[in-house]
Amino acid sequence: MIGWEVFGAWLCAAMVVWIYSFVYRDNVFYKVAEHMFVGTAAGYSIALALDSLNKVLVSPAVKSPGTFWSTSWHYLVPAILGALMFIKYSRKYYWLARYAVAINIAVGTGLALRTVPIANVVRQITATIVPLWGSDPVKVLNNWILVLITLGGLTYFLFTIFPRRVEGAGASPQHLIYRAFYYIGIYGMMVGFGALFANTIMTRVGFLISIYLIYIQPQAWASIIAAILAAIAIILGILRKR
Amino acid sequence: MSGGSSLEKILGSKELLYTLLLLSVILPILHPLGIPVEISQRTRDVYNYIETNLRPGCRVYIEVYYEVAARGELEPNLIALTKHFFDKGCKIVYGSLSAFGVVAFSLFRSMAADLFDGKEYGKDYVYLGYIAGGEAASASLAKSIKGTISVDNYGNRLEDLSLMKEVDKATDFDLVIIVSSGTDIFSYYIRQWYTPYGVPLLFAALSVIAPSIEPFVGAKQAVGMLVGQRSAAEYEVLVGRLGLGIASMDAQSTSHMLIVAFIVIGNAMYWSKRFSAKRGESK
Repeated sequence: MIGWEVFGAWLCAAMVVWIYSFVYRDNVFYKVAEHMFVGTAAGYSIALALDSLNKVLVSPAVKSPGTFWSTSWHYLVPAILGALMFIKYSRKYYWLARYAVAINIAVGTGLALRTVPIANVVRQITATIVPLWGSDPVKVLNNWILVLITLGGLTYFLFTIFPRRVEGAGASPQHLIYRAFYYIGIYGMMVGFGALFANTIMTRVGFLISIYLIYIQPQAWASIIAAILAAIAIILGILRKR
Repeated sequence: MSGGSSLEKILGSKELLYTLLLLSVILPILHPLGIPVEISQRTRDVYNYIETNLRPGCRVYIEVYYEVAARGELEPNLIALTKHFFDKGCKIVYGSLSAFGVVAFSLFRSMAADLFDGKEYGKDYVYLGYIAGGEAASASLAKSIKGTISVDNYGNRLEDLSLMKEVDKATDFDLVIIVSSGTDIFSYYIRQWYTPYGVPLLFAALSVIAPSIEPFVGAKQAVGMLVGQRSAAEYEVLVGRLGLGIASMDAQSTSHMLIVAFIVIGNAMYWSKRFSAKRGESK
């Protein structure tokens, strides 16, 4: 007998093939899978958010009100602020939602600002203060690349200072230095984008491989069915193109 | 139609590329090529850090923050790390600041059921479940887990779980691991766990986001980073539990070779077209 687990695995495998069919052409199967995914994801998020609210606030307040009021009453504050968010649907009292949004932003900003200067600025600057001479040539080369590309990247994004070349006169040393770092910045970023693109390919192919390994590969006949479905999609795609 | 342009049309067809990509993934899985996997220094450093710094009875916190689509890249890392921690006699607290972490944890738990054999829930490991609140929740957890939530994912009171009597705040953990498919979460832990409390962090990230968080590793704000399926495969070899990571390496190699070939062919055709156009202009 086919249980829910098997049915779920089949549905998963079918969804993978339907979604993958988009690479050949937009079609009804892709649309069905897309809408099912969006609907499921949204419904699941709402259910889990409500479950979280229930676990943290509603259930303790109902089951053991004494303990709740003595130790966890402060959960009511975010619950009220959260409820205020929904008041934006009222034309008369929509402005109350602003208080919830404002407090949310203020808390987020306060929490981040507490450590951002150290974590994202000071530590990153100190990480670029590295020895540029030493006995290990590979390390020295890496350090030079790190320092030059950091300076180049920063120079590229300096929009306020731009030593322009005076017409009729030769390039000034400031102009030459600026241009050199500017180009180092551009090419450094290009290398970075290349690495990012290569990593993107690795991730996407990894998704494909893992989906195949998890859902289709354990049954050889499922691979054959998937291959037949893919072949049908290709033939249909070519026929429609003609 | 000239031979060159018809070749360009065939090679430029996305159907051909996607079909070849599908074949380059499926064929090496059906007939493994056995391409050897060399352990990179980065993965070895992570392994050595855990071997050197964690003692039996140590406590680690693992943030499970990835959606099901990212399972193939991150779940093998999570499984291999969990095996290593259990082998070292560590106790693990799992938590998720993402709603999808709950599904990811449930799938991970069923895929790695053998690792949990003989392990007692509440004593050797705990799953806190989804904790809403993003960075604010992360800051609150670092200060006090029991002050943030009162029950775990399954509705058990944290006060009743023996492991949760040993740990409550960031400094109670010997290592914090973030297994994530998103970039923001790494910043949360750096800002709210590492910077104020100095707790060592270890990253396990999707390949695509690794370059974005590399500066944190370079600045020694994390002890190391495992990147995607490749690192997972290497870690599986190191801990002696081969799984999805190693199984996917042949397919990764062949599909990457195909993409490299297409990039080379595409560039060669582009430059030959440019040269022939220039030659035509000069004539």
